[in-house]
Amino acid sequence: MPVSYLDAINAALREEMQRDPNVFILGEDVGVMGGAFGVTKGLLEEFGADRVIDSPLAEGIIVSASIGAAMAGLRPVAEIQFVDFITPAMDAITQQAAKLRYRSAGTQTCPLTVRVCYGGGTGGGLYHSQTNTTWFAHEPGLVVVAPATASDAKGMLKASIRQDDPVIYFEHKKLYRLPAVKEELPEGDDHLADLFHCAIRRPGKDATIVTYGYMLQLALQAAEKVAEESGASVEVIDLRVLNPLDHDTILESVSRTGRLCIVQEDHRTLGIGSEIAATVAERAFDCLDAPIVRVAAPDVPAIPAAESLEQFYMPNVSKVVDALHRILQY
Amino acid sequence: MATKVKELGAGAAVRSNHPNPLISNDKLKQMYSTMLKCRLLEERARILKKQARFKGNYYAAVGQEATAVGAGIDLRPEDTVAPSHRDFILNFIKGTPLTAMFSQLYGRSTSPDKGRSAPAHGGYAPLNIITPGSTIAAQLNIGTGIAMANQMKKNDNVVVAFSGEGSTSLGFWHEALNFAGVRNLPIVYVCQNNLWAESVSVKLQTKVDDISLKAIGYGFPGITVDGNDVVAMYRVAQEAIARARTGGGPTLIEAKTYRWYGHSEIDPARYRSAEEVEEWKAKDPIAAMERYLTGKDLYSDAWKKEISEEFQKELDAAIDVAEKAPPPEPIDCLDYLYSFDIRNRELDRKNYSPKF
Ligand SMILES: Cc1ncc(C[n+]2csc(CCOP(=O)(O)OP(=O)(O)O)c2C)c(N)n1
Ligand SMILES: [Mg+2]
Repeated sequence: MPVSYLDAINAALREEMQRDPNVFILGEDVGVMGGAFGVTKGLLEEFGADRVIDSPLAEGIIVSASIGAAMAGLRPVAEIQFVDFITPAMDAITQQAAKLRYRSAGTQTCPLTVRVCYGGGTGGGLYHSQTNTTWFAHEPGLVVVAPATASDAKGMLKASIRQDDPVIYFEHKKLYRLPAVKEELPEGDDHLADLFHCAIRRPGKDATIVTYGYMLQLALQAAEKVAEESGASVEVIDLRVLNPLDHDTILESVSRTGRLCIVQEDHRTLGIGSEIAATVAERAFDCLDAPIVRVAAPDVPAIPAAESLEQFYMPNVSKVVDALHRILQY
Repeated sequence: MATKVKELGAGAAVRSNHPNPLISNDKLKQMYSTMLKCRLLEERARILKKQARFKGNYYAAVGQEATAVGAGIDLRPEDTVAPSHRDFILNFIKGTPLTAMFSQLYGRSTSPDKGRSAPAHGGYAPLNIITPGSTIAAQLNIGTGIAMANQMKKNDNVVVAFSGEGSTSLGFWHEALNFAGVRNLPIVYVCQNNLWAESVSVKLQTKVDDISLKAIGYGFPGITVDGNDVVAMYRVAQEAIARARTGGGPTLIEAKTYRWYGHSEIDPARYRSAEEVEEWKAKDPIAAMERYLTGKDLYSDAWKKEISEEFQKELDAAIDVAEKAPPPEPIDCLDYLYSFDIRNRELDRKNYSPKF
């Protein structure tokens, strides 16, 4: 039976907790309720309240207690219910987790995983729709991942839990139950996905789209549409990892296609697309046959609730198709 | 719940031939000599800083030695210390080698953090001293997580987490104590109330007179102790540590004390009166302990001289080692970021532009 993105995350947690008694979960509503979206359902029953811990409502201590537990040899998986509420944990993530190994010259480390639910398009409004991945991609010392497929959701979470670094694992709420990303995943296959490289999800030769998370769905549809409309073949790269960036897969693709379109759900200024565009301009300038184009949200504080406003805000297939036509016809 | 403890009293000279029923004479002497060494160490560090022998800043705890010694002296290597910016001497108390400490001040390649953290913000992994960041109170929260891990692993290690009274205004502080209370964690929070957070009086930090009162809100004992009285501090800390070790949960200890010098070596501390400083210097924890030990016939000036001269030699030797140690190689800047190497990534960037 095909497995949803949400069930894939749940399976990864279960398998890792079965495998390693040091793995435990800490977060708001993760226990009795099984998570705000049901991601941790059934885990309290299987592993008990000592390993599936309903925390007080305090993101700062959720993450910092996890840092301390990780320093002491455990493998915590902290959950942040909505990235919109991660700010109370910003010191813990950016000043403590990201810098502990560096400031102690490798003598103290915190291999923790912070699962963060993010993303818009569900009518959640200003404070239940944000993306904010870039805040963390900007922090050396953090591994930041954002799986776009069910297989990656499972394999990357298992790999994150075993990774000896603080990993911020972004899971898009719109992918949780999306039929299009359901996949056959053998139970207990113990597949560990790569945490360092982009994946080419659709090969092409005329232009490259770079994107991640839920936006991958839009990018694939846009590439298909452009192929039907104009015969152009568009390569689609799923970033998967936002920090440290896998520059070479992107540069190699652009050096073949000569055209780059970046699709990101977060707002434009200093988003991940800015860094990718700058890197391509620096290291593959002569390879470009057209200006780089970004499809991004506008620079407003967050996603407004009304459907009309949300639609204006969010990237969609036709915005990506328009962008592709612009660079293909340049 | 919040109780006050006072043992020596300012200027007390308790005449008694009976050994302290709880504390051996050897322990009393050890506490004295450790305080004295902490003082000598920090006065030396301040001189080195004034001579610009190391860069950066130094945050002396001179005047507060009784708090650190009373709480830290009997910790086991497996116990964790979560130090603040002013707790460099906790390294010495817990047993970090002097060469490691001075290499840290000098930012040498031989220091525990290989020249990364600011002077005085040093930790030591082999003895479970957290290498602190500089965000006030953050070390308490990390320490709280270590206490959670100790509880989950069912060992009897404790965490002693230090901070100043200024830290108690931050949200972090309250999140940590609340969490520790809810989960009954094996941790002792030592709040060193030295009346000032840089230039800001404690009166502008909190409306309560005794910070220990705040523990009531978290459901565990809070106790205010004379932080310049090492015997009182020791008794209170040992009780709290024993409670934590045996599953009795956290304690908040407020130690009322005073830093003799400015916030750091660049702070002339003009915001406080000379009278206030003099008043507290008269409550010098080391002099008070000398009087206390004299009352028990455990002290002599000759003994003090002997400790001092011996320790100054140890300091000379450690400083010599630190001064001769090489600085980190510039390229070491790229190390210890992740569990994997980023040097090559930073240095060997492949170029895709044929003409460039
Ligand atoms: C969150 C944060 N804000 C501000 C500072 C700058 N700062 C460093 S020490 C300090 C005062 C701390 O006072 P207290 O907690 O009483 O400790 P003390 O210096 O008296 O030992 C300040 C404001 C900081 N390091 N962290
Ligand atoms: Mg203070």
